[in-house]
Amino acid sequence: MDEWKPNPAIKPHKKRSWYLAWKYKLMNQRALRKLCQTGAVLFLLVTVIVNIKLILDTRRAAYEEEEEAAQDYDDEMLNVEVPRHAVNNKKVLDVEVYSSRSKVYVAVDGTTVLEDEAREQGRGIHVIVLNQATGHVMAKRVFDTYSPHEDEAMVLFLNMVARGRILIFTIKDEGSFHLKDTAKNVLKSLGSQVAPFLSWRDMWTFVGKKGGEVYGEKHAKSPALSTWGDPVLLKTEVHLTSVEDAECHWPDTELNRRRKRFCSKVEGYGSVCSCKDPTPIEFNPDPLKDNKVFDVPVAVIAGNRPNYLYRMLRSLLSAQGVNPQMITVFIDGYYEEPMDVVELFGLSGIQHTPISIKNARVSQHYKASLTATFSLFPDAKFAVVLEEDLDISVDFFSFLSQSIHLLEEDESLYCISAWNDQGYEHTAEDPSLLYRVETMPGLGWVLRKSLYKDELEPKWPTPEKLWDWDMWMRMPEQRKGRECIIPDISRSYHFGIVGLNMNGYFHEAYFKKHKFNTVPNVQLKNVESLRKDAYETEIHRLLGEAEVLDHSKNPCEDSFVPDTEGKVYVMFIRMEQEADFTTWTQLAKCLHIWDLDVRGNHKGLWRLFRKKNHFLVVGVPASPYSSKKPSSVTPIYMEPPAKEEGAVAVPAVAAAEQT
Amino acid sequence: SVKQHVVRKFLGLISSHNIPVYLIDPLILGLVDKDIEQIKSSPGSPSLECKYFCAPRDFTTFALLDKTWKHEVGLFRTAEKMGFQWLKIINKDPRLDGMDDLSGIEIPLHYIFKLASHAIHLVVFYERSGNYLWHGPLRLKQHMDRKFVPFRKLHFGRYPGAYEKPELLLISIDDLKVQIPKNPSSFLEEMSRSRFLECRYREARAFFQLYPDDVSLDAVEFRKKAKSLLHLAALTLNNLGVKFWLSSGTCLGWYRQCNVIPHSKDVDLGIFIRDYKADIIPAFQKAGLPLKHKFGKIGDSLELSFQGEDDVKLDIFFFYEEDDHVWNGGTQAKSGKKFKYLFPKFTLCWTEFIELKVHVPCETLQYVEANYGPDWKIPVKTWDWKSSPSNVQYNGVWPIDEWDDVIQIY
Repeated sequence: MDEWKPNPAIKPHKKRSWYLAWKYKLMNQRALRKLCQTGAVLFLLVTVIVNIKLILDTRRAAYEEEEEAAQDYDDEMLNVEVPRHAVNNKKVLDVEVYSSRSKVYVAVDGTTVLEDEAREQGRGIHVIVLNQATGHVMAKRVFDTYSPHEDEAMVLFLNMVARGRILIFTIKDEGSFHLKDTAKNVLKSLGSQVAPFLSWRDMWTFVGKKGGEVYGEKHAKSPALSTWGDPVLLKTEVHLTSVEDAECHWPDTELNRRRKRFCSKVEGYGSVCSCKDPTPIEFNPDPLKDNKVFDVPVAVIAGNRPNYLYRMLRSLLSAQGVNPQMITVFIDGYYEEPMDVVELFGLSGIQHTPISIKNARVSQHYKASLTATFSLFPDAKFAVVLEEDLDISVDFFSFLSQSIHLLEEDESLYCISAWNDQGYEHTAEDPSLLYRVETMPGLGWVLRKSLYKDELEPKWPTPEKLWDWDMWMRMPEQRKGRECIIPDISRSYHFGIVGLNMNGYFHEAYFKKHKFNTVPNVQLKNVESLRKDAYETEIHRLLGEAEVLDHSKNPCEDSFVPDTEGKVYVMFIRMEQEADFTTWTQLAKCLHIWDLDVRGNHKGLWRLFRKKNHFLVVGVPASPYSSKKPSSVTPIYMEPPAKEEGAVAVPAVAAAEQT
Repeated sequence: SVKQHVVRKFLGLISSHNIPVYLIDPLILGLVDKDIEQIKSSPGSPSLECKYFCAPRDFTTFALLDKTWKHEVGLFRTAEKMGFQWLKIINKDPRLDGMDDLSGIEIPLHYIFKLASHAIHLVVFYERSGNYLWHGPLRLKQHMDRKFVPFRKLHFGRYPGAYEKPELLLISIDDLKVQIPKNPSSFLEEMSRSRFLECRYREARAFFQLYPDDVSLDAVEFRKKAKSLLHLAALTLNNLGVKFWLSSGTCLGWYRQCNVIPHSKDVDLGIFIRDYKADIIPAFQKAGLPLKHKFGKIGDSLELSFQGEDDVKLDIFFFYEEDDHVWNGGTQAKSGKKFKYLFPKFTLCWTEFIELKVHVPCETLQYVEANYGPDWKIPVKTWDWKSSPSNVQYNGVWPIDEWDDVIQIY
């Protein structure tokens, strides 16, 4: 976040000291006491006047510094309300706001706090929140209200801003196309007269106090559909209030000190900063009995999405068995706001100088974070790796505590992951069930130290290789045939819709309907049978018990699976060799599960649920389980559709984000 | 006594915050060590005199394991209320020093709590990779009060230090219950040779800027093997109680690039001949490292070489101390020629190298320069041990009748 630094103040206390000393000297002499009483009153008056004069002189001084000065000043002498009063009336910020087709900027007291003239970027309504006492920038957002739903996000954001904050709005390019009435009414309630009538390609600037006065508004109508309104420049003054007035009066505790620091710096976090009944920042979830992962370090990989990080850390710190001392947040870049969030929760955070660009940057950030984690916790045999856009299930640590010994003992395992790529609302059912899969899902996973130190770290892709770390980890050279343990119902939820390889459409299609466990303390039931050989026995048992479905029906139809519950069904699809996923991909597509690359397979077998029945898919003849196919059954073959334009582009992008 | 009073108050303070500290004050531990049997055998008996905590000194030193407390600020508020003045010395976290691009972490290294005329020095110990404890140096920053306590008299902080994780013992002395290292005398011994050298990460980064690291599959594989060989060698020698240090190419790799030099093809260790034990060869064989060759004899130019996994070899050079220098020997098998490599005298320091706490010569630069000359910063791929080292001297030929003994090849 940009910080606006006020002009340095003239320090008043030095000038004051001489008469203080003199005054006390006088007062200490008994003989002069009575005389001095009158003198003291006079003196008080003089002091008051001097104070006012000084304040006038330091009109431009930051209020913060003024406060400090007042504290340095002798406490006993005066309890003068005057300086504060004077500040209330006199402390003023000059604000300049510019709106045009190709450029917006906002300057506060001559300091540019927003400037955006990038092409093809930053369209919509830019919002800046200033602290009403210090003038600091507390939040900076842009809502592309030319596009749908962005106005809803803006309303949500504006509602979260505390009363009394100063709000600055300016439009770049176009901000009205999808600005609905609800949003317009919110702007109107802030005092805007123009907002209700904002239309296509109008230019608009507005400065007001939330729940208070309006400092200015300017508007230029677009004369015709094909042209933009003339640029507008609004120059206005904003009167600052006292710090006291801008802060809440929470009881003075360690937690509230953290809260106060946070809330005076940033905005847009809602009830955590509400004066009345703020939401807790310490959670104290129940401890886990016999917690095997209490001493396992947790690395949270973050970028500059502080609101995501806030949500993520809340859920993480609420999970049973969490050990906050083991959590380190690694921030990719010198961003202040994510660090503020980390400090709010009393956690430790490390900033990482960005290396390289895009995917390679993420990859280098991962490497640095993992290396640092094992260095900070040299005793750790494992590390939990999380990302800032995940919700963490309440039984996340319980799930890991019950399964981590497998990672220690079974060398054929690559990781434990909290995420089931194929675990959607309609395909996941059993919170106590785990699988072995050949793909590495990421999104909340456990890494073995020896795997990292001996294998991955030494040959981690170098910065000039623009590789995704997760795609690299999935390559056969790294994975070497090892598998990951995953739950049927995911213990993490991927909520991020803004990201390097992510957009709203993609999120809606592939992540939104993912199932997420909310049941605490789930007792996992088949942990021992997940060991390499035991799992084969288990699969054979399952296939032995499974009812073969009617292969003459269309597997995409709901009626393909009978209306039963709790049964085990199997179907056979064509899979000519290990890498032939033609039919599987088509099946995945029509079942509305992950189809952008192959996920969740174990030796040509997929396990999911349909209509609350366990549903097994075996690829014939590539899978070793093909022998279970009755000779009368012909494996189903589904033809890929003729290649559409653009069909290739999406998976390439998608595969990168799905980690 | 004021001293006892301050210690008592301090122990009260930290126990009220559930912070486990242990006594590492060399003066008091020395006194305790004399009476250790008696102290152990009569726990909790009231003492009539103040024998330990009243001994004349300016400080009492305690240790705190970083991971056992949560950095609550409450501790300092309580301390202030009790009348303590305190000072915190923070500095960069060395565990992240090897990583050029991380920031944001400064860690507390020392605390000083002062009350009346006595002060408590609380040294913070951190666990580091290589299964050891580390404490940082005490360096005052510009704005700090240099007269807060007589810093020069502190027993810890002149250098950083490395220690084994101690076993603790709860004892009662002068009517105060306090934890101490279980074996005070060996702790004091350890303390006397605890000086730690951090790897020169910044210079190593500069080196890799000039000469990019070899990340080929071969290099990765070699490093992995060299690391496990060094770990095995360290384990074996530590079990025997034989002190050793990184020598030759391995030492250069540590000093120049904080890593194994991938084209070095072996691991080199040094041992003073006075520390030689006959068990060394059988111990390595037992560890799965057969003897490859043995040159020289205990009295002259002893050198052992063990065969590690694949072609990675472990070379152990024995060093002979003279009045003004030390040397080790080399032997050319086919000719029986002897060579001598001269080094200036050196002492040993701890360091961390590929997740191992090991010794290196404290005066590393002189050591490396003696061996590799002033251009040691430039990587050289072809190296002839008979002619390349700048400190090599021809040392005659082994008498033919001794060859069977001094040139053994397996």
